[in-house]
Amino acid sequence: MADDQPLLEVENLTTKFSTDNGTLTAVDGVDFSVNTGETVCIVGESGSGKTVATESITKIINTPPGEIEGTVRYKGRDLLSLPESELRQIRGNEIAHIFQNPQEAMNHCYTVGWQITEALQIHQDVSDDEARAKAVDLMDRVGIANASSRFDDYPHEFSGGQKQRVMIAMALVGDPDLLIADEPTTALDVTVQAQILRLLDDLQEEFEMGVLFVTHDLGVVAEIADRIVVMYAGKVMERGDVLDIFDHPGHPYTQQLLECLPEFGGTGGGIPGTLPDPHDPPDGCRFAPRCEYAEEACRTGEQPEEIEVAPGQEVSCVHYGPGGNPSIVRSEGLGPGDDTGTVDGDSEVGPADD
Amino acid sequence: MATEESERFDKVDWNDLSRSGRFDLSINSIGMLLTALPLTLLGVYSTAFTGPRTATFEFIGLEQNLESLDFFFIFTLLLAFWYLALPLYQNPRMTRYYWKEFKRNRPAVVSLGWLGIVFVGGLVGPLIMDPPQQQLLIGYQPPVFTSVVDTTPATCVGDVVNGRCFGTWQHPLGTTQGGKDVFTMIVYGMTISMQIAFITTTIVATIGISFGTLSAYAGGWIDEIMMRFVDIILSFPTFLMFLLILYIYGAGLGMFIVVFSLFAWGGTARYIRSKSLSISEEEFIKASRISGASTYQVIRGHVVPNAASSIITQLTLLIPGFLLAEAQLAFLGIGDSAVPSWGQLISAGRSDLSFAPWIVLAPGIVLFFTILAFNFLGDALLDALNPEAEAESE
Amino acid sequence: MTDTLLSVRDLKKHYPIRKGLFNRKVGAARAVDGISFDIEEGETLGLVGESGCGKSTAASSVIHLEEPTAGEVIFNGNGRQGATRDPDGTHPNDVTEFDDDEMMEFRRGAQMIFQDPSSSFDPRVSVGNAVGELLKVHGMSDRHRRRAIVEDLLERVGLSANDFDRYPHEFSGGQKQRIALARALVLNPDLIIADEPVSALDVSIQAEILSLINDLQEEFGLSLLFISHDMSVIRQVCDRVAVMYLGEIVEIGPVEEIFTDPQHPYTEALLSSIPTPDPRASVGGIELKGTVPSPTNPPSGCRFHTRCHKVIQPEGLDIDQDDWRGLLNFRDKVGIDEVDVEQVRENIAGSGTEPTDSEVRAEIRREFDISETVDDPELERTLSEALDLLIEGDSERAGSVLSDAITTPCAEREPEQTVHAPGHESACLRHEGQAAAEPNPADD
Repeated sequence: MADDQPLLEVENLTTKFSTDNGTLTAVDGVDFSVNTGETVCIVGESGSGKTVATESITKIINTPPGEIEGTVRYKGRDLLSLPESELRQIRGNEIAHIFQNPQEAMNHCYTVGWQITEALQIHQDVSDDEARAKAVDLMDRVGIANASSRFDDYPHEFSGGQKQRVMIAMALVGDPDLLIADEPTTALDVTVQAQILRLLDDLQEEFEMGVLFVTHDLGVVAEIADRIVVMYAGKVMERGDVLDIFDHPGHPYTQQLLECLPEFGGTGGGIPGTLPDPHDPPDGCRFAPRCEYAEEACRTGEQPEEIEVAPGQEVSCVHYGPGGNPSIVRSEGLGPGDDTGTVDGDSEVGPADD
Repeated sequence: MATEESERFDKVDWNDLSRSGRFDLSINSIGMLLTALPLTLLGVYSTAFTGPRTATFEFIGLEQNLESLDFFFIFTLLLAFWYLALPLYQNPRMTRYYWKEFKRNRPAVVSLGWLGIVFVGGLVGPLIMDPPQQQLLIGYQPPVFTSVVDTTPATCVGDVVNGRCFGTWQHPLGTTQGGKDVFTMIVYGMTISMQIAFITTTIVATIGISFGTLSAYAGGWIDEIMMRFVDIILSFPTFLMFLLILYIYGAGLGMFIVVFSLFAWGGTARYIRSKSLSISEEEFIKASRISGASTYQVIRGHVVPNAASSIITQLTLLIPGFLLAEAQLAFLGIGDSAVPSWGQLISAGRSDLSFAPWIVLAPGIVLFFTILAFNFLGDALLDALNPEAEAESE
Repeated sequence: MTDTLLSVRDLKKHYPIRKGLFNRKVGAARAVDGISFDIEEGETLGLVGESGCGKSTAASSVIHLEEPTAGEVIFNGNGRQGATRDPDGTHPNDVTEFDDDEMMEFRRGAQMIFQDPSSSFDPRVSVGNAVGELLKVHGMSDRHRRRAIVEDLLERVGLSANDFDRYPHEFSGGQKQRIALARALVLNPDLIIADEPVSALDVSIQAEILSLINDLQEEFGLSLLFISHDMSVIRQVCDRVAVMYLGEIVEIGPVEEIFTDPQHPYTEALLSSIPTPDPRASVGGIELKGTVPSPTNPPSGCRFHTRCHKVIQPEGLDIDQDDWRGLLNFRDKVGIDEVDVEQVRENIAGSGTEPTDSEVRAEIRREFDISETVDDPELERTLSEALDLLIEGDSERAGSVLSDAITTPCAEREPEQTVHAPGHESACLRHEGQAAAEPNPADD
């Protein structure tokens, strides 16, 4: 296996659902990749398709009504064409998932330890005693105090943060190479969120995993991400290194997302408008109906090609394309990460509209 | 005095407004009162002032007689109209939504159509059709398009070809041993089935909902006692009880309905109780309490409607049980043979099964489809009446 | 100088814990245990803390959704300003003493917004009627007038009048929170309590709702009690903040001062747990370990001392603060017999050979972030003795050795309020003696 090959490579991933009101395209031709030891964040509002995209990787969405197209190469193997039996070997073993709501992801009829050992024994042929020892070890590893005595406790005896720790322990049973974390801290308190993020950070180093992290919270992104993929209405708007995107967000959507944060001069207002109807997405750039820089060219044809605006940073916006004028949307001096700019609550993003 | 200005929320002078509005009756309740009152008066008049053999409407020259069961049936129909049908009309948006969800389930739509026929047939049929008459001469007529050996019926109403008697449109489903028209009897049976369905549902729902919500809101010792009482109700041998009553008082349809529904509400009450408890944890209940609404207003306005719509399914699934129980009792010969129910018809035809199978088959099939329809309907209603579940899955 | 709209004095809400056949009361969960604060007219007070600190219980006690166990809630809205205390010490504006009519009036003066947009509306009632219900309950029987008012209000919160007949499931979470605002506003209250109104929403929508709240507050001169666990949200909307921990307010003050100059260690820890949207900032700061202890049996002294990173060392002791924290944690864990030597042994064994006792000792020290030798010789002796006892399997004696030698003033005395600047108070023993808080000013 070549060293420069990414751990996970997703190409032109499209996930559709057939509903009563026609076909709903949740993810529409999305590309991204994750390398070993790297954390990639998919950022977007609810309904942007980020969760569906990650669940399509190991096909944990139901098909039908879902329908997945494209290629998902994991260590060079195309997961989407693998038979279900081989996929099961990878799922939960080499590629592990953690979800937003630990309450719902656990079975309340069984003890926490039982659930971890079960996950273990599905993938590994180990005796009950070995499984127990390993489970206790994992619980200890994810920071559950007094693991051996809590092994026989039921989920309701754990707090929300502890449950999420148990979920992480369950995800780690197969010593995964890729961890997909879908908003794992959204349901938690800020203090607990900090603990969990720190834990994930440590574990990533220890287990040398690639992490695909889904969130809508840019504060979390800034803490853990190496690279960012910004999604909107099933399409990728922008991608790049975390520093580049926070310093020079290219796409108007990314800029507005950042502006929602008080630290970026978020004087409120959010992003006016709502996500387009996924049954009938608008022509041209998906964000055009809510974009303050939208022109006629933005509203026709397909989502614009991604243009490299800086090394490693690509933006899908008409204004960066041929015939466009990037200075319309180019933002300078935005955000606290800028070396020259100041943390200025009033800094404007480009000229308003002229 | 409502001026332009006062149509803004911050321009309302609350001290001006009287509190009388809090006890406003809804149009539904007014309608119910206005229609139920004459019915009650008529009922009282009918039972107290006319003899058992006199027709209720004799005083205006009609021959229709209404028995107490009929009064009760009409009362439940009024309830269904004012509190079920009218609200659906009043909230067209919600109705459209329900219908959209309901429509997804094709078998349920067909079932609804079938039950509609049974309902209308049961309501209108007896008014426009004469009751089946005993005519021994034309017993065992086969249904239309079929034939039997011409020795089976005493006289054949239709054509006799090659020694076989053919059925006619005069008796589309044939006749019984006594020459009663099976089709007419089935239509009359629809009335009975609808009476059973509506009256039992009303009794079960009324007791179940009031008992359940009361228990949930009283809490503590009262709750404990009420729920233990429900346990007793649930473990009571209803059938033996019915047999006992049957020996003492004789078996009327009314008695059947009363006994069986009085022992069938236990599950509903329990369900309503737990549902009420979970609903009262919801934030919209807190919001309503903070608005200043009294406990009664909260229960009446939010808890009961939400709990009740979730038991519609349960109630719909209870009805087939009653219909089957009635049919089984009739088949065993414990029912009231004067009541023209489907079960009685089946029971009457069982000895003739070898040569006149239609007497059993026709009502049997109708009963089967009706029960199936109620089951389909219940399933579809469960999905349709739950807007929260829908919203969450999106 | 504006007037005080709401004064909460020593508010307590205890939930009895009953057990056994006769429902005997065996204890109480002290969810809210004596909190006091004021809200001026037009002001926003933030109430911040982790889940389980009692902030939501405080809200429902203030708005009288639940009967408080003790304390006063003095509400001066609805034109009841200027009332003074009666000679017997009660206050005529004390919500806890209101009769039914006064309570109805209070309902018009104070309303609430809830956290979960999906459960805050009856799924079977159109949103127009849900908002109009309040008008109806308060005696407006004219349907057309109710409709006109609600339609006007829906437009004010950024929806359209046509939305009146739509049902909750037809709206997104953000829109539902707008409707919740309309519902809270429709009786024209003076005070709105917002219980985590944006924590269930996306960041982009959070900003929208927060700015709407700000606009409405300005337009109608509302006072707000804003409850959140998210410090960054608090910073956007609040004028003052009260930080709650385990049923008590540990620090209260103007929002900028709290953010720039936090006085209580808990506030510091909360602030440092906010994810900063700056990719260059490292994951770091103060990590708040563990969870909030049970309110049934809160720690003695300062309730935060079990998790505090600045917990005080007894007089004459001056060791590394991390060591001190570690020692206290170690003492507590040994005390409840939660240090599993076998487990430690196994952990080390996993990486190779049978561990020696000294390896086990080192591992335990590392687990509790205690350095190889503690600076104070006497403490070091105690620690070594306890470790030896532990390895020998005598955790009981190890526990008593430790608890005899390791004590902190934080566990012994309850801290008093200290005034740092006008309106900025905190309750931490480290500030004791700087400036004693004045007794509560006459609250009327």
